Parts: sequence; C-alpha cells; structure tokens
Amino acid sequence: MSLSINTAKESNLALCPKCHKLNQLRDGDSHQKIQCVRCHGFFYQRKPHSLQYTLAWNIAALIAFIPANLYPIMIIYSLGIGDPSTILSGIGQFVDHGLYPIAAIIFTASIIVPLLKIAGLFLLVYRVHTGVRLRPDKHSKFYHILEFLGPWSMLDVFVVALLVAVVELGFITSVAAGPAINYFTLTVIFTMIAANSFDPRLLWDKKQSNE
Amino acid sequence: MSANIDTKQLIACQQCDALYDKPELKQGQSVKCIRCGSTIAERKVDSIERSFNWSLAGLFFLVPAILLPIMGVTLAGQYHHASLLDCILVLIDRGFFMIAILVFLFAIAVPIVRLFGAFYITYSFKFNKLKPSLLHFLRAFHHLDNWAMLNVFMLGIVVSMYKLLDDTDLSVNMGLFAFILWLISSTMASAALDQDYIWQRLEDEFVD
Ligand SMILES: [Zn+2]
Ligand SMILES: [Zn+2]
Repeated sequence: MSLSINTAKESNLALCPKCHKLNQLRDGDSHQKIQCVRCHGFFYQRKPHSLQYTLAWNIAALIAFIPANLYPIMIIYSLGIGDPSTILSGIGQFVDHGLYPIAAIIFTASIIVPLLKIAGLFLLVYRVHTGVRLRPDKHSKFYHILEFLGPWSMLDVFVVALLVAVVELGFITSVAAGPAINYFTLTVIFTMIAANSFDPRLLWDKKQSNE
Repeated sequence: MSANIDTKQLIACQQCDALYDKPELKQGQSVKCIRCGSTIAERKVDSIERSFNWSLAGLFFLVPAILLPIMGVTLAGQYHHASLLDCILVLIDRGFFMIAILVFLFAIAVPIVRLFGAFYITYSFKFNKLKPSLLHFLRAFHHLDNWAMLNVFMLGIVVSMYKLLDDTDLSVNMGLFAFILWLISSTMASAALDQDYIWQRLEDEFVD
C-alpha cells in the first residue's frame, strides 16, 4: 500500500508547518530554508537535525528528572513544624487516605508520562536512526499519544502553586514550594521541546528508503 | 517533477507527508490520510459564527476567572482564599520566579492571547474587515498551539481540593465557576475555528 503513495518531498514540494500550504522547492535543494508563499513564515522541508535535537532535549529532561524526585516538591507547615514531601511521598499520602483515583492521576501525570515520553522518544530516535523494526503506522500513533500527554505533566506544578496560594493561615498552617518544583517543571518543558523537535515524517521517509 | 505544479490543487498530510489531490469538502466533512490515519483536511460547520460567539463568551469570563478567588480554606477560625492571580503573586513573593512566569504563561497569558486571537480573526471575517496583516497574525497564533494549559490547571484545582478536603474546611468561590466557564468557552472557540478555511480565504484575497 505504501508503495503507491507519493510524498510531497518526492514531488519536490514542502508543507508549511504553520498554514499547511504546499510550497515548491526552487532548485531542488531539500535542506534549504523556505519562505512560505502564503504566510511568509520560514521553514524547512524536514526539521533540520531533528534526531539530534530530540536526543539532546531528551537527555536534559532525564537529568532534570532525577533532582525532581529527590528533593521535596512541597513543605507543609503546621504549628511551625515543617513536613516536606517529594512527588512520590505526596502520592503515598493520597494512597494512605484511600484516595486511589487521585493517587493514580498524579502518579500517571508526574511519573509515568514523563518517563514514558523520555523512553518513547529515545526509542523513536533509535528506530529512525537504524531503521530496525520500524513500523511507521504504529510509531506515529505512539508519537501522537506522547505529544498529547506532555502538558498534563504540569499537573503537580499547578497543584503546588494552588496549595501555596490557598493555604496561608500564618502559624496555624501554610504550604511552601520545594526546590523539586523547578527541576520537575524543567523536565516537563524539556520533554515537550524534545517531542516538538521530532519530525514524525522521518518515520515514513526511512521506511520508504528501506523498501 | 514538472516545474509547474499547481500547489492549490494539492494537499499533503502533516504527519507523514503523503500527497493528495485537494478534496472539495462541504461543511462538516473531513478526510483522513489513508497511510497514517490522521485528519488531512476538515470543513467545520458554521465555524466563524460559532468561534466568534464562544470567544466573545470567553472574553466575558476571563477577568472574573483570573481575579475572583477560586477556593478558600478555614482552619481554627482563620479563613484564607486565593485567585488564579494570587497563585502567581505568591510564587513571586516566595522567590520561585521561573515557576511564576511559566504558570502565568500557560494558565493566563497564552490562553488570553489565543482567545483574543480567535476573537479578532472571527470578527474580521464576520464583518468583512480582512487585512493582509491577518496572515502574519494567524501564523503567530499557531506558535501557541501546544502551550495553553487551562484544562491541566482545572485538573490541578480538583486535585488540590481533594488534598485540602481532609484536614480543612474547604469553600468554593465564584472564581471557580468563572474559571470553568472560561475553560469551556476557550476550548470551544479554538475547536470551532476552521483554520484551513481561514487560510484559504486569506490566500484567495491577498496572495496572487
Ligand atoms: Zn505558511
Ligand atoms: Zn498521513
């Protein structure tokens, strides 16, 4: 089936990522910077150095994820005594209180999604680079799930911001943000940029060049 | 590889680059890529009218959603509440500048710019005030696609409520209702916006 399909690249055309207008390449140089005839934005036929950028941002995300889990993300003060909690111990508290659905939501947003994104992007980069067992239909769907899930990891950051603002009852009780919140936010931002740097069309290009 | 391909008659899949003849779509129709299954083109029903109305509603709820307190807690006779803006001010106050800026961007600035953008674009179409500058405006508008996180913030509100419910007396304030209405209107305004149609109209008008 894939053999009968002609791509824009093969026809010397490039799709503008912003307005989705097909632009004709002038001298057939597929690495040149193109200015869209419709929206006048600059773009490339394929994101340049897509795999390298994805890999670099992905490694940065992985590194930031370590202190994000070691340091406390939030410190609850009551009657002057501070009780720090990390991302994982915060989830543990919800489990202790029997609030399993909430525990599951935070665990998914804060632990599973970032790790799945980082591991998934490493896998996609590896598969595109080597072409080993590349399944573009499956892998592009997987990529879209990763891309869609990205922003939901900000959940814990928003929760901490809300709690710090709402729970401000002086000496009785108050909530402070911990250093992990910075590292965790960086993890989320880096994985989002990593996913953005990946060009899913490379999956299909590689497959076609293999055949 | 001929030199004169009419790019107006062709369309490519954004996800896999497959090339197709441009389909003539009626309102409510969409076509999917036969190779990767993603939507290639879509004509939304009553796009301009619906997006205009929703963005107008969104602009109406925006100020109360940001300024009115979302929720409050009572403990040992003390009461304190906070609005969306308070979340950012408190983070600045405690020295978490990066988080304050990002929460501001994702939960306030980007959603506002997107809402104003949708309103301005649909207003221009509704009252036939098309200008060439709209092309640039619309392109800038697309840069923000991934970074509006009102829906994530809404889930954050729900989770914080569960967290507070256990040890304190939790009260819900008007800001929460305004925020929910703002979230719904913004989501509907961007969902109704038919970008293919808008680009096509602008191209016919201003690009030779
Ligand atoms: Zn363009
Ligand atoms: Zn496709």
